[in-house]
Amino acid sequence: MSVTDIASLSEARPKGDSLWMDGLKRLARNRMAVLGVVIIIFFILVAVFADQLAPKSYEAQVLADNNAAPQWVIDMFPVMTSKADGGYVTVSNDYILGADDLGRDILSRIIYGTRISLAVAFVGPILALIIGLVMGLIAGYFGGIVDNIIMRVVDIFYAFPTLLIIILMMAYFRGSFNESSSQGTFGYALYMADRSMGGMLFIFIGIALTSWVGLARLTRGEALSARQREYVIAARSIGSKERGIMFRHVLPNILGPLIVAETLTIPTYIRYEAFLSFIGLGVNRPTPSWGSMISDGSRAIASYPHQAIFPAIALFLIMFAFNFLGDGLRDALDPRMRGVE
Amino acid sequence: MKRRTLQYSRFLALLLVFALMVGVVSAQGDRKVLVDAGNAVGASDVPTLDPSLATDTSSIQVLIETNPGLTRINEVTLETEPSMATWTVSDDGLVYTFSIMPEVPWVKYNAETDAVEQVLDENGNVRYVTAEDFAYGIRRSIGGQLGSYYGGIMASWVVNGDAVYAGELPVEELGVEVLDTYTLQITASKPAAFLSTIFGMWQAYAQPAWVIEEYGDFWYEPESFQGYGPFTLKEWIHGESITIIKNPFWPGTENIPVPALDEVKMMVLEASAALANFEAGAADVSIVPLSDIDRIQADPVLSEAYYVGPGSCTYIYGINTAKPPLDDARVRQALSMSINRQALIDNVTKGGQQPAFFFARPSLAAAPHQEDYPEYVLGEDVEVARELLQSYLDERGITLDQMEPITLAHNESEGHARIAQAIQQMWTEALGITVEIQTQEWAVYLETIKSDDAPQVFRYGWCLDYPDAHNFLFDVFDSQVRELGINWNNEDAAEFDSLVEQAMVEPDMQTRTDLYAQAENLLTNKDAAIIPIYYYTSLNLTQPWVQRTHSQFGQEYFEKWDIDLSARP
Repeated sequence: MSVTDIASLSEARPKGDSLWMDGLKRLARNRMAVLGVVIIIFFILVAVFADQLAPKSYEAQVLADNNAAPQWVIDMFPVMTSKADGGYVTVSNDYILGADDLGRDILSRIIYGTRISLAVAFVGPILALIIGLVMGLIAGYFGGIVDNIIMRVVDIFYAFPTLLIIILMMAYFRGSFNESSSQGTFGYALYMADRSMGGMLFIFIGIALTSWVGLARLTRGEALSARQREYVIAARSIGSKERGIMFRHVLPNILGPLIVAETLTIPTYIRYEAFLSFIGLGVNRPTPSWGSMISDGSRAIASYPHQAIFPAIALFLIMFAFNFLGDGLRDALDPRMRGVE
Repeated sequence: MKRRTLQYSRFLALLLVFALMVGVVSAQGDRKVLVDAGNAVGASDVPTLDPSLATDTSSIQVLIETNPGLTRINEVTLETEPSMATWTVSDDGLVYTFSIMPEVPWVKYNAETDAVEQVLDENGNVRYVTAEDFAYGIRRSIGGQLGSYYGGIMASWVVNGDAVYAGELPVEELGVEVLDTYTLQITASKPAAFLSTIFGMWQAYAQPAWVIEEYGDFWYEPESFQGYGPFTLKEWIHGESITIIKNPFWPGTENIPVPALDEVKMMVLEASAALANFEAGAADVSIVPLSDIDRIQADPVLSEAYYVGPGSCTYIYGINTAKPPLDDARVRQALSMSINRQALIDNVTKGGQQPAFFFARPSLAAAPHQEDYPEYVLGEDVEVARELLQSYLDERGITLDQMEPITLAHNESEGHARIAQAIQQMWTEALGITVEIQTQEWAVYLETIKSDDAPQVFRYGWCLDYPDAHNFLFDVFDSQVRELGINWNNEDAAEFDSLVEQAMVEPDMQTRTDLYAQAENLLTNKDAAIIPIYYYTSLNLTQPWVQRTHSQFGQEYFEKWDIDLSARP
């Protein structure tokens, strides 16, 4: 027996982490991903505490302060000159980022606009996960005729152009109904529901209709390969129920790629909302959304660049954050990357 | 008239207007110019160049230059003056005899030779514009079963017009008669001071029967288009630009001189893009984006180029007087009195508009000026507005919270949205009421506000078709023709009808004005069935080397413009 400096063998064996812990650790080492997480958490906090954070109301107008800007903003953009210097911009340091064309505080509107963007960012993937994951799992695990039927449905929905559907729904439901002539119809009920949700209903429906198909395909593929694995055969051999195998054994093993895929899709949903608001089909006024703020601001970009640039920066930051988080997750959760520094 | 004027006013409010963005085309010293047919959101092209079907300002702008009418409106004085014809009226005011200028040839632009050519008939003779061509245009508009909107408007003023329009009588029965080659006689169904203007509108322009028969629905494309005015159609790139070129065969008259410009190109551009072009010196005239007005006024160069003149429209909020709580005049008055119009103009609409308390624009013939009739002006007074609302609430024995919610509707547009949001806030601050804003797409909105079920408060605009108060007060609000869902049906409305109908046939100008003032009193003050907000202005930017006139009614007469080539960089 040779001399050893360890007390027991167990000490020599490196402690095994679960896949998830390992992934989390690797994620924590990815600086960009961490930055993304920090930004996302920051925006979540902003959205949650908007009422406390916003210095002013997002809808109260001070008409006399229309298009006002603080001195530092004027200094930042050479095109803007204050009235004191013979220019045209009302200087008011009351507004940290300036005021819009109706004298509303831009900072407060950006803060409240966070709620809209984040609502879309989270509702989209949740809907996709609920529908797409279940459909894909069932199709992939059972195969055969079930698989065939579900995948043909997926093919049909895959052909739907999301934005066009949302625009069509908005144009139809918002434009076609008036108070009494259509009261009681289904369309009118939808229109009223949309109004009570501030104009978000059709964005959600549109995303729900089409966002799940990609995820369903991915899930099916993963499930198809997973059901051939030894652990599934083992589980079946000891008499586990199908549903148990599907959700307890298959699902956790294929979840990684799905989460990555969905995280990388979040910017798309945010972009949908911003785009729709930009073309005037988003949330109802005066509720602020970054897209509608950029749209309003872009009209005045030659005279008041700050009105479009600040909401654009906010939009850029959150898209950037989700993209880097998605990239980081992909690296972290990929089993092939395991142990790679 | 409703249709065009509504669209038109929508454009104006947006300031993405069909106004003029005149850009320089050539550097060779040609007097070439580009004019913007810059349509607003949605429509991005000139919809048609068929005089019978034109309803919007951009189509009419082109036609007014290529196919002048029998008469036309002076763009500065707003008086009706001879154009292609001089005329006489019979003593009973019913028979109009037009003597058409002889030997004005039909012309056509030939793209191969890049020249404007006279049109020849099948025998090789020059085709001149004749009374027959005008009669053809009028008959086609009224009796052509084209669904011509303005054909329908004109029909009510011509003998048998309504029946011919409806297809109940053959078109030959129409009160339009060709007396000889250059003499046209129109028999009116009733006399009115402004008939000579109506007979000069675009639906009555001369039309080339031979082209329409050969080419069918799209005869007005540049390949086949024929005109006779100071300019003719050269090029039409759909959705991008439309170019008219000087007609060398135009003889020139006192009112319509031979053009100094060689070419005018109208470009379809959004206001902000048009301004950018203008600032870069690539355009001679530009429309004015609302967001940039402050900068333009402060800028030493741009402020010199900036022009504000009277417009041709009135911006109002209509009220559905059948829907509570607006079924009570006190609530309507309270709403009208608590709008701070000057603050709205200074901070939101900017372009120097005039606060309106009457509906008819003061520039119209026989229109009462609000400063001359102070006792008929409702005015602005937040205190009184609160008292009125309170007395209404007390009478019903309810509190403000129990009052029915108020909906304010407007068609989708940035400009209307800003105005609506500002007024919403004014009402909330002054009266403590909550107002919900609702927007609809244009076509649906038009139906909505014309139904009996119109929203309680809805945005509306009206622009002149001919410069007479009749065009505003009768054509919009008389119950015979009223399409708006304001549901204004009490005895005051009946009195309003009798006043404007009396004014229609009253020969004395001062008496007419008094009658219209009384009508305004009922409409805007006593019953407050509408809330007038402001009179539009027309805004543009013109480079210093452009000599021009500024039209007060929406279309420009380019033949009166010139460019100082030596001053142009």
